[in-house]
Amino acid sequence: MTTTVVEPWAEQPLLRYVAESGARLVVLMTPAGQVLAQHGFVRAVDLMAASALGAAIVAASGALAEQVGERSFGALFHAGERHGIHLASCATPRGALIVLTVFGKETSIGLVDLFYDEFAAALRRAAPAEQLREPVLAEDFEADLNRSLSTLFQR
Amino acid sequence: MSLVNFTTREITCKIVYYGPGRSGKTTNLQYVYSQVPADRKGRMVSLATQTDRTLFFDFLPLDLGTISGFATKFQLYTVPGQVYYNATRKLVLQGADGVVFVADSQVRQLDENIESLQNLQANILEQGVDARTLPMVLQFNKQDLPRELILSPEELDEALNFRGLQTFPADALHGVGVFETLKGVAADVLRRLSQGGVGARRV
Repeated sequence: MTTTVVEPWAEQPLLRYVAESGARLVVLMTPAGQVLAQHGFVRAVDLMAASALGAAIVAASGALAEQVGERSFGALFHAGERHGIHLASCATPRGALIVLTVFGKETSIGLVDLFYDEFAAALRRAAPAEQLREPVLAEDFEADLNRSLSTLFQR
Repeated sequence: MSLVNFTTREITCKIVYYGPGRSGKTTNLQYVYSQVPADRKGRMVSLATQTDRTLFFDFLPLDLGTISGFATKFQLYTVPGQVYYNATRKLVLQGADGVVFVADSQVRQLDENIESLQNLQANILEQGVDARTLPMVLQFNKQDLPRELILSPEELDEALNFRGLQTFPADALHGVGVFETLKGVAADVLRRLSQGGVGARRV
């Protein structure tokens, strides 16, 4: 199973969470659905779709909580025939983060939820505060962009 | 804000297609989806009503390839255009790196365009972002309709483009202008990364 991290500080907490909870897929993301770290996904585009939907569920349930006067609903989970999902957000120095966990019959919602709490605490300890960013792309990136889009649209 | 992975040299950016109901936001994404090779796109996710009106959002992940040595991915979202879905529009707009405002060129839709544009400004401001610093382009869609039913790009520019943004006349149903619009917003968003910006300025 593959684990990839965008921000290295997330790697150790994620690996430990995966090992302890027995989860099949885990995505750590921002509230905008941007992936910071993941375990188990093969295709990046599938990962992006899952994170967009996970972030949307958290955002929608948060807005619904506000409507009924709750601060938040905490973790959400759904049990399916073969898979369950656990979805929760936690505050860290990096800002609010969302964790989507997909698990199978080899573990249980109770174990996932138990180890999620430890994972959230580890994320809070490891996460750095957001920092200003240096220029990323070269100034002459537009030729590359034109070439990439032309290839993409087969023109 | 765009995510940059310096270890694997990857960039991920979020682009939101905004505009009044039935202006053609979903059509833009459907056209992009139909034109892009399978290995460069993910499944298009549409959270729509039974009558195919967007309820929450449409989502299309795209792999642009390598730009300046970075593997670049774009997440394209649409918002529901109907007035009463403002709560979900706000959620989708969170963390956007760039916006495409899809205007309906029909004369009778001008007020809806203006209202939606004002709603966009208000929702951006509510997130604490200075709208003037958020990369954005305007698309004047449905330019294929009979001339007597629509406003020209010049007239729409006069009515809607008070920020002097890039504009693109389009017929999204047949793909005219879709590619140019995406290219325009992508360039704006990536230009910000080449300048070292952290995204739109907060107010």
